[in-house]
Amino acid sequence: MSFIEIRQLKKQFRQAVKSPGLAGAVKHLFSQQYVDKLAVAGIDLDIEEGETVAYVGPNGAGKSTTIKMLTGILVPTSGTVRVGGIDPFKNRMDNARTIGAVFGQRTQLWWDIPVSETFSLLKDIYEIPEDRYRRNLDQFIELLGMEDFLHLTARKLSLGQRMRADLAAALLHNPRTVYLDEPTIGLDIAVKQRIREFIKRSNKENGTTIMLTTHDLGDIEDLCNRLVIIDRGSLIYDGTLEAVKNRFARERVIHCQLQHADIPALHDTFDRMPGVAVESLDAACVSLRFDRFKATASEVISAVMLHGEVADFRIDEPGIEHVIKQVYERQLDLEDGHALAAAGTEAAGA
Amino acid sequence: MTFSWLRKPRRTFFLYRRLFGAQLKAILEYQSDFYIMIVSAVLTQLLGIVFLWVVYNRIPDINGWTFWEVVFMYAMVYLTEGFGSLFFEGTWRLGRIVNNGELDVMLLRPVSPILQVLSYSVGMNGLGNIVIGIIMISQALIRMDLHWSLGKIIIAVLLVVTAILIRVSINLAANTTAFWFKNAGNAFPMMIHNLGEFAKYPITIFSLGVQLLVAVLIPFAFISFFPAYYLFDKSSAPWFWIACPVAAIYCAAVAYTVFHFGLRKYESVGN
Repeated sequence: MSFIEIRQLKKQFRQAVKSPGLAGAVKHLFSQQYVDKLAVAGIDLDIEEGETVAYVGPNGAGKSTTIKMLTGILVPTSGTVRVGGIDPFKNRMDNARTIGAVFGQRTQLWWDIPVSETFSLLKDIYEIPEDRYRRNLDQFIELLGMEDFLHLTARKLSLGQRMRADLAAALLHNPRTVYLDEPTIGLDIAVKQRIREFIKRSNKENGTTIMLTTHDLGDIEDLCNRLVIIDRGSLIYDGTLEAVKNRFARERVIHCQLQHADIPALHDTFDRMPGVAVESLDAACVSLRFDRFKATASEVISAVMLHGEVADFRIDEPGIEHVIKQVYERQLDLEDGHALAAAGTEAAGA
Repeated sequence: MTFSWLRKPRRTFFLYRRLFGAQLKAILEYQSDFYIMIVSAVLTQLLGIVFLWVVYNRIPDINGWTFWEVVFMYAMVYLTEGFGSLFFEGTWRLGRIVNNGELDVMLLRPVSPILQVLSYSVGMNGLGNIVIGIIMISQALIRMDLHWSLGKIIIAVLLVVTAILIRVSINLAANTTAFWFKNAGNAFPMMIHNLGEFAKYPITIFSLGVQLLVAVLIPFAFISFFPAYYLFDKSSAPWFWIACPVAAIYCAAVAYTVFHFGLRKYESVGN
C-alpha cells in the first residue's frame, strides 16, 4: 500500500443557477435550480513517502479540490483517500498532526498577532517539544530570512514575507506530508529561490513527502521529480518531467545574425526544407523553428551559410512551460505520445 | 474523534486560553475604541431596566412576578449575552469564516474547529453586559430577601453556568446555518437571538405557542425564567432545577451535531 493512496476519487459541487438581475434573484427565491459540477472526476493516484510531486493543471482543473480532500477539509463525494493509512476526513485530527499545508491565496497566520507569537501558538497547538521547536525556529528564521519581520503582525507583512512565514508555520512541527498550493504565486525571483531551497532541504533532510500545485514551471523543474497533470477533474499525465520534455520538447528555434544575406534564396531554401519553418527573416537576422527529429542544428546552419554570412547564432530550447501549455490546450496527446497539430510542427511539415 | 476535545478538558481549556489570550492581546494593543462599545452596551441595558421600572410603577406585579424578580430575568439575559460576546464572539463570525474559506485553515489544525470558532474573536461590548448583569442580579437577590443555604448557592452558580452554556450553544447552532445559507448577510442567527427577548419576562404571560417555542424548541427560558422559578421558590418541586443542566446538555449536543453536519456540507471556496 502506498503512502498516499487515492482511489476513484470524485467530488461534486452543487452550484445555484441564477439568472442575472433582480428578476433572476426573485425567480431563484421561488424555484431554485442547481447544476452539479464534477470538480474531481475519478482520480487514481499513488504517492510514496519522500516523493516530490508536482500536481499541475489549468485553473479549475480540480487541483485545489484534490488537495482539500487530502487534507480532510472536504469530504469526497465518492472514492477513497488514505494518507499514511488514515482517512483524512474521518480522522481529520490524526491526519492534521502529521501534515502541513500552505495555501498561497490564504494565510494561516493570525492577522493581528505578531509572527513570533503565531509560531509560539503553533508550538502549543502541535505540542512541539521545546528543544525541537527552538532548533526548527532558529533554522527557519535563518534559511528564510525572517529576522526582520518576526515582530510584525501578519497584516503588515509584504506578500513575500507572509509566504515565508506561512511556509515556516506549516513546517514547524516536522510534518510527514506537506501540501503546497501555489506557494510561490506573485513572488519575486529572490524569494522564490529561497522558498524552493527551503522546500528542497526539508524533503532531503527529513524525507518529507511534498505535493505541490503551481502555475510556475520553475517550481516544477526545480523541486519535483514527478509530474502529474490534471485537467477537467481527470488525470491526463503521470510520469517524470524528463519524459515529457524528451517526448514533446522536440522543437528548437535557431537565431542567426546575418551579414550579406540573400533573403529570397533563404526563403526559398527553408520553404522546401522538411521540418523547418521560418519564424522571422530580414537582412540582419533569421529565426528558424525546426523539429529536431527531422533536421539537425548543423543542417539548418549549413543551409543558412550557403546564402549569407553568419556572424553569430543562438539556439533556444522550448521551456517546459511551452510543453505543458500545449498539453493544457490539448495540442499534445499524451496518451499515445503523439504530437498533435502543434502549430509550429504542422507548418514545418507542410 | 467524537467529543475527543471533551475527553481532554485540560488541554481544551489550555488551548482556548492561548487562542483567546492572543486575540485579546491583539485587541488591547491595536483597538482603543472598545471602551465606547462597553459604555454603549451598559447604556442600552440600563434603558431596558428603566422601561421595566416605568411599567412596574403602574402595576404591582405581572402574573405574580414582582419588579426585582423580573429584573433578575432581564439580568440573566444580559449576563449570558455578555459572556457569549466577550468569550465566544467567534460564533457570530461563523458566517464569515465559512463564506470566505477561513474555515480551511481551522480544519488543517489538530484542534477542534468548534474550539477554534469559539476563541476566534473577542467582543469587548460583552464586558458591559457582564458588569451590568452582575450588578442587577446581586441587587435582585438582595432585595428579594431569600433564604440561602450552601446547597442553594452551589445550585445558583450552576444555573448561571448552564445558562451561559445554553446561550452559547444556541448562538453556535443558529450561526451554523451559514453552512447551508451561503449568503453573506445571514439573518437567521439574529432572528433566533431576538427570540431571547421573550426570556426577559415570565413566559407564562405569553401564548402557549410562544411558551413552547422558548421552553422546548429553543430553550431560552432555561437561561432566565426557570432559574428564577427555582431561586425565588416558585416551585413546590425541589428538584426542579435539574431541568436547567439537562436543557444545557441538550443544547450543546444539538449545536455539536448541527456543526458536524455542516462540516460535511462545507464546500470551501475556489481560489
